[in-house]
Amino acid sequence: MWLIKQLAEQLSHDPSTIKVSEPLTRYGLDSIDAVTLVGDLEDWLDMKLPDTLFWDYPTIAKASQYLAENFDITGALDNLKAEELTTVVPNNKASENLAENKKGWGGLFGRFK
Amino acid sequence: MHQLKQYSVAETLEKDLGDPLDPNNIMSFKQVVDIDETEEFPHSQIEWLYNWKLQHYYVPAECGGEFTSFEEFVAFVRVLSRRDQTIGIAFTTLFWSFITWMSGSDEQKQKLANYIKNEQGTMCLGYSEREHGSDLVGGDLTAKKVSGGYILNGEKWPINRATISGISYILAKTAPEGGAKCLTLFMVNKRELDPEKYYNLPKILTHGIRASDMSGIGFKDCFVPDSMRLKNEGDGLEIALKGFQITRTLCAAFSLGAADTALRTTLNFASKRIVYGKTVFDLPQPRQTLVDAFLDLLICDCETIGSARGFHVVPEQFSVWASVVKYFVTTQLETMINNVYVVLGSRFYMREEHDWGIFQKVLRDNSIISMFDGSTVVNLHALILQLRPLTKYRSRRKSNTMAEIQGRLETIFSLEKPLPTFTPTELELFGRGIDDPLQGLEIALQQLEDLKQTSDLDEQVLENLLQLGNLVLEELDNHDQLIANSKFEYGHDQSPELFEIAKKYCNLHAAAACLHMWLYNRTILGDFFAKGEWLVLSLHRLLRTIRHLPYCLSEIYVENTAQELLKLYKEDKLFSIVPFQLAQSQSPEDKPYATSGLQLKA
Repeated sequence: MWLIKQLAEQLSHDPSTIKVSEPLTRYGLDSIDAVTLVGDLEDWLDMKLPDTLFWDYPTIAKASQYLAENFDITGALDNLKAEELTTVVPNNKASENLAENKKGWGGLFGRFK
Repeated sequence: MHQLKQYSVAETLEKDLGDPLDPNNIMSFKQVVDIDETEEFPHSQIEWLYNWKLQHYYVPAECGGEFTSFEEFVAFVRVLSRRDQTIGIAFTTLFWSFITWMSGSDEQKQKLANYIKNEQGTMCLGYSEREHGSDLVGGDLTAKKVSGGYILNGEKWPINRATISGISYILAKTAPEGGAKCLTLFMVNKRELDPEKYYNLPKILTHGIRASDMSGIGFKDCFVPDSMRLKNEGDGLEIALKGFQITRTLCAAFSLGAADTALRTTLNFASKRIVYGKTVFDLPQPRQTLVDAFLDLLICDCETIGSARGFHVVPEQFSVWASVVKYFVTTQLETMINNVYVVLGSRFYMREEHDWGIFQKVLRDNSIISMFDGSTVVNLHALILQLRPLTKYRSRRKSNTMAEIQGRLETIFSLEKPLPTFTPTELELFGRGIDDPLQGLEIALQQLEDLKQTSDLDEQVLENLLQLGNLVLEELDNHDQLIANSKFEYGHDQSPELFEIAKKYCNLHAAAACLHMWLYNRTILGDFFAKGEWLVLSLHRLLRTIRHLPYCLSEIYVENTAQELLKLYKEDKLFSIVPFQLAQSQSPEDKPYATSGLQLKA
């Protein structure tokens, strides 16, 4: 259950304590955070999702079901491994450091590891 | 200077309103100060504006009105606000109609357009509640579904124009269990309600904008029909947040108008007052203060006009851009007004002396702008939540991304280029990390490099711009590194340090906006603009708040900027990158349109 793992990391919770049927607001996520979380998910799956995803489907179970029925999640996950970070600006110190300091980004930046 | 047609409505309105220093004019400083003293709502001034048909410019062309661009809109709201923010704000609550233009049905739009254009209709925004502040989802006003409509119960407070307006946009809870989809938005038309079932709350006495109808509205078992509901049940929060993206950006126009008057009335004093054998303006320290104030206006102009145009090109980026403008422009100009009052001396505090005491009124009125439609804290918080995606997106730009950004920047910032029609359906709750002005900074720096080949620019100016521009880039890179290495948290317990980091982001954003504005309009906005000395001083002014820099880069640039300020002042032109003609000061006997009764459009 990738969504549970990602949420657990984002919200600093033990994955085993997260229940798929509980509204996400129970885990300290308020309405605006839920929008930002869609951004992280989009980033991770590299696909555009509705920005009100977690408003319309406020539990992990409902959101997962919606995603599985409407998006090619398996395909997206397969594609993750192949991706690489490239930048447009050569000799851009910050970008290089940024790529080196991946750990600082937290869980959802995992695809750069 | 080319005549940019998007400024002609503002110029015509200016001309018809007449010189604010002439007490006989309807929105003269004398009149608006008198109104403020009585604390009574300015009915006759508002009626004058309706008769002038200004309300048509609040209704989009596709809905049968005259509104075509936010750039034009910002210019005329500035004209109102330079005379009186109380009237400017009271009239501009009409702009909440954008909620309907954005999310209403065709029938709702048509009805509202007719109400505004033909019935002098106006509206107000009922979102906040006494107990809940910015926490919209926490609200207590409920709407219970019944056959054919809803029953409303609860109060909204404080609301500007709650009592004197026919339509209230009311955010009501339709799902008692809460959550992001618990709110529904209603366009409540008071005329269609049982008058026994709703009530207005008493006028609130305020520090500034004293003649406003600041009050509230309450409902007691009040039936509203389904036809007053906007979109679907549960869509209220989404509409509310997107509506704020529009109005937050436009709040900058109120501040720009007030700041113009604060500086102009101070110049009225500083250019005539003799101390130690010189005018106050000729003393070095006050002169520098006034030049800095002028630069603040030019900087805020670049950010505001850029964003007003940006709305038409990149509406999907406004969860970021609206927050930047609302925070940066309003607070920068609040500080600017505080800086210039030192030059005006103790007269800034007097309610009758010096231009009818307009300065103290501006100071009081203007202090609400950074607070309403989302406070400084709310806007910085919204930005904090997006700093990480912004940094991430910037680190991943590729050459095709840069080419796309460049194309968009050109349309946004070239004031002669036509703008596409604004499409509110493209607004997004989060910007997916995209922010053209800052992410296109390297493009601007390359354009500066390319200018080395042309001979029309002073080499030293260009050298300065390149150096300062590269410092902006360095600071942006530092910012990205800081964000990349920081731990991100959700929620409202963000560290105070992050608020400072978000402020710095806004500062860099403004610097980038100044660069783009100059690069795309060098040849069309007059000699002073073209020379770029003001831009050197502006970038220096913004960067000085971030890092240690020499106090002054060039006394000559400061002197030339002071001369331009004086010139605009003497010619009654707006302190702006687009210094359009204001109503000219004349002696009363020379004035052809001295009567307040004249309401014809030129």
